[in-house]
Amino acid sequence: MNDGQIRRRCLLVTVFFTCVLMGLGSRLALLHFRAGSQRVGLVDRKTIEQTVRVRRGAIVDCIGRDGILAIDLSVHDVCADPQVISRNGTVDQLLEQVGKIVDIERDRVRARLVREDRRFAYVARFVRDPVVREVRTLGMEGVFFEEALRRHYPHHNFMCHVLGFTNLEGKGCAGIEQSCDRFLRGSSGLYETEVDGRRHRRYDRRTLHIAPQHGANVHLTIDQQLQYMAERALDRVVEQHAPLSCHVIIQRVATGEILAMVSRPGYDLNDYRNVSAGDRLNRSIGIVFEPGSTLKAATVAAALNEGVVTPDSRFFCENGLWSAFGRPLRDSHGYGELTVRDIVKKSSNIGSAKIAIRLGKSRLARYLSDFGLGQRTGIDLPGEEHGILHPVGKWPGIAITRISIGQGVAVTGIQLLGVYCTIANEGVRMRPYVIKKVVDPDGNVLRSTRPEVLSRPITPRTAGQMRDMLERVTEKGGTGRRAAVEGVRVAGKTGTAQKPEHGGYSETNFVASFVGFVPADAPEIGILVVVDDPAEEYYGGLVAAPAFREIAAEAVRYLDISASGVELAGRTR
Amino acid sequence: MWKISSVLAGIVLVLLALGIVMLASTSGVRGEFSTGDPGYYVKRQFVWLVVALIVGFVVAVLDYRIWRRLAFPLAAGAIVLLAAVLVVGPEINGSQRWIRVGALSIQPSEIAKLAVVLMLSAWMTHVGPHAARFKEGLLFPLLGLGLICGLILWEPDYGTTALIAAAALTMMFVGGSRPGHLLIVGTVGVCVMSLAIMQDAERSERILAFLNPEANRDAAFQVIEAKNAFVLGGPFGVGLGNSSQKHFYLPEAHTDFILPIIGEELGSVTCVIVLLFLGILYCGMIVSERAPDQFGRFLAFGATIMLTLQASINVGVVTGLLPTKGLPLPFISYGGSSLVISLIFVGLVLSVARKSADGPRGDRSGAAIKDRAHRI
Repeated sequence: MNDGQIRRRCLLVTVFFTCVLMGLGSRLALLHFRAGSQRVGLVDRKTIEQTVRVRRGAIVDCIGRDGILAIDLSVHDVCADPQVISRNGTVDQLLEQVGKIVDIERDRVRARLVREDRRFAYVARFVRDPVVREVRTLGMEGVFFEEALRRHYPHHNFMCHVLGFTNLEGKGCAGIEQSCDRFLRGSSGLYETEVDGRRHRRYDRRTLHIAPQHGANVHLTIDQQLQYMAERALDRVVEQHAPLSCHVIIQRVATGEILAMVSRPGYDLNDYRNVSAGDRLNRSIGIVFEPGSTLKAATVAAALNEGVVTPDSRFFCENGLWSAFGRPLRDSHGYGELTVRDIVKKSSNIGSAKIAIRLGKSRLARYLSDFGLGQRTGIDLPGEEHGILHPVGKWPGIAITRISIGQGVAVTGIQLLGVYCTIANEGVRMRPYVIKKVVDPDGNVLRSTRPEVLSRPITPRTAGQMRDMLERVTEKGGTGRRAAVEGVRVAGKTGTAQKPEHGGYSETNFVASFVGFVPADAPEIGILVVVDDPAEEYYGGLVAAPAFREIAAEAVRYLDISASGVELAGRTR
Repeated sequence: MWKISSVLAGIVLVLLALGIVMLASTSGVRGEFSTGDPGYYVKRQFVWLVVALIVGFVVAVLDYRIWRRLAFPLAAGAIVLLAAVLVVGPEINGSQRWIRVGALSIQPSEIAKLAVVLMLSAWMTHVGPHAARFKEGLLFPLLGLGLICGLILWEPDYGTTALIAAAALTMMFVGGSRPGHLLIVGTVGVCVMSLAIMQDAERSERILAFLNPEANRDAAFQVIEAKNAFVLGGPFGVGLGNSSQKHFYLPEAHTDFILPIIGEELGSVTCVIVLLFLGILYCGMIVSERAPDQFGRFLAFGATIMLTLQASINVGVVTGLLPTKGLPLPFISYGGSSLVISLIFVGLVLSVARKSADGPRGDRSGAAIKDRAHRI
């Protein structure tokens, strides 16, 4: 081994390592200068998105007082990993042990848990913290919890038809919850954050943050106190008369604000899933009925407004039986000659029909339409019905004698109350509404309802005449005596309508109603009471009028409406 | 010769400076997580850096010839330490590599690297032209080498074993051993390594992960994440301190896998680092070529090869060209023993360079001849 050889070998080794290092350098350069699209993919892989759930807005009454009607509660879902549970063979153990702590539908949960291909199943939804703690102490593998928010209605069935409910996904499905869903739900926030190798979020690398917008609060025109009074009165009606259903509406005459709206049967909002669709129906706007005598006010008002009669015009009432257009028309009591005033007070069918004939059917039809029959009022609640008012061209000859007394025409409660509120409000028909305003969490008013005039079917003079006539109904000798409130002048009209069945009219099933307003001379509120098919007594004056009186008496006291109609205390409208 | 020494020292200082800065950047996350102090690792490394610079300086100033006499006692000491680590060394991550002496923990395999270089330099100088013979050129050096490598393999530390074996075979090749012999020895060595690896589930998994990263994602994640780091950095990097891979994507970000983090933060500076190691190689080779005697030549050569080889293996591992081995990047990775030994190697090269600068160029061959004549 000589010096030259060593040098040659050294050179060889140097060349070799030069190649190695150059190769490594090229490799590094290749990695560094790789396409940018790959880089984007690598960054995406490190990013997680997380939505931030928001609280749904609250629903409060007209004064916005503490009694919260609907709020969101923090709850948990008990969830399980079916794959783990099935492999461990702990399905029955889980059902047994968790079933002891919280009610679960065992068969349905079992069906979910045996699916080994799944990694997620609900065991129990919306449970409160104590349950979570207990289930956690079981320490079962494959059981975990998810945070959730659940809509809760602290007053259960109070105001149920107005409030409505949200489904399991948190979407409003009835009542205010449905009509104001877009305000109440808010919009969830979003975080997009880079994570480290342990999938922990890195707060210094937040790439996107959309702040959550919490749901807005809905303020109703409904007054909890009046609503409560109305519900209590209606519950008493249910107790005494065992009707199929009944409903009450209280409306502020001047504006159309609904102060109370009750339907029976009601239901517990927290348990809406186990309730029939019929119970969920808001009957004040969602069913139609033949109004009967209560519609006579519209007929008479139309005739007065057209000048074809005066309050003192006299009509012969055929002593209780009149055959018109080949069909008999009866009064419950036989009368001879009656003034228009008395026709209203005594609720004479024959008299009303004769007034309508003098008016003519096209004018009658126009007035009924102007009073809002056969069309939605546009109240801001879902599920309103149109009612039925056939076009005048399709009226058979007999129709004018029947429609004028409220047969062959169907209305919703809110429409019928609208007729009386129009009379009470100087002939101006207002759109009824229940949403006063919507206020977001920062206090911005997102929407505020202003009173809206729908039509002016009659003149203020006619309206004044009608108020006088309707006030006499509750005086001695009138059909609505039982609606009279001591110290307050009450105007209104009874209705006792036979229910239509099999193409004719039932002799045993009636809709009893009373609709009116107080005080008669300067009306503040209109009240409607409708009782569908009461068990024994069936006259509107006997069934509905007492409930009206009860509600009116309390409402007048509560709202500080004096006998003369002046509000004594400065109560907010 | 002063010029070469300055270039070499300059390169090493650049690497050391870069290393300490990048260690500060990469070890912060890990330090904060495991000790609560982001500066935990960099403080310790700084102390080691000062120690290593002093040691390296002393070695550079000393006459390298004293190592010729110290070579065999040092090798014996290394063997004792390697044996001791198997007895008293604590087991960390399934292997015994460290000995705790007071507050220090030292890695005997690092000392073994130095010992092998010194021992082989001394031996190859001693046998001179007889290196081509089987006994002198192969058998005797292999006995010592085999013992050391066997002990390191026992720890187990496959990376250092392979490094020492490869460097040693290269030195023997240059020293005059027959290439055919070395080829046989290399083949046998690879077979022995393979057999040992096959006995070890974790290591064989690493090999499988290397051969087919996509099918063995769990085992290969380290290399996949390392490659991702280079890609994420792109040509210009994401900026000092901005690496995302050091946030628990790369578990050994401050030690063996520091280069990918540098690549992510500073971009193609990694290529410059490779070029700097190429510079070290050239400086070392020039010093070796101009060495005043045969021992100095082998010493400079061995030290340079050891550094270059280690850097090459490290870069090969982190770029996915070699299976994962626990080898730090010289001058840059965290690790006290490694840093001290690396600077001792540099000191040795500088010491040889200093001696060769002493006399005129012609004197060098004369010394070599005299030396050889004296032996024969």
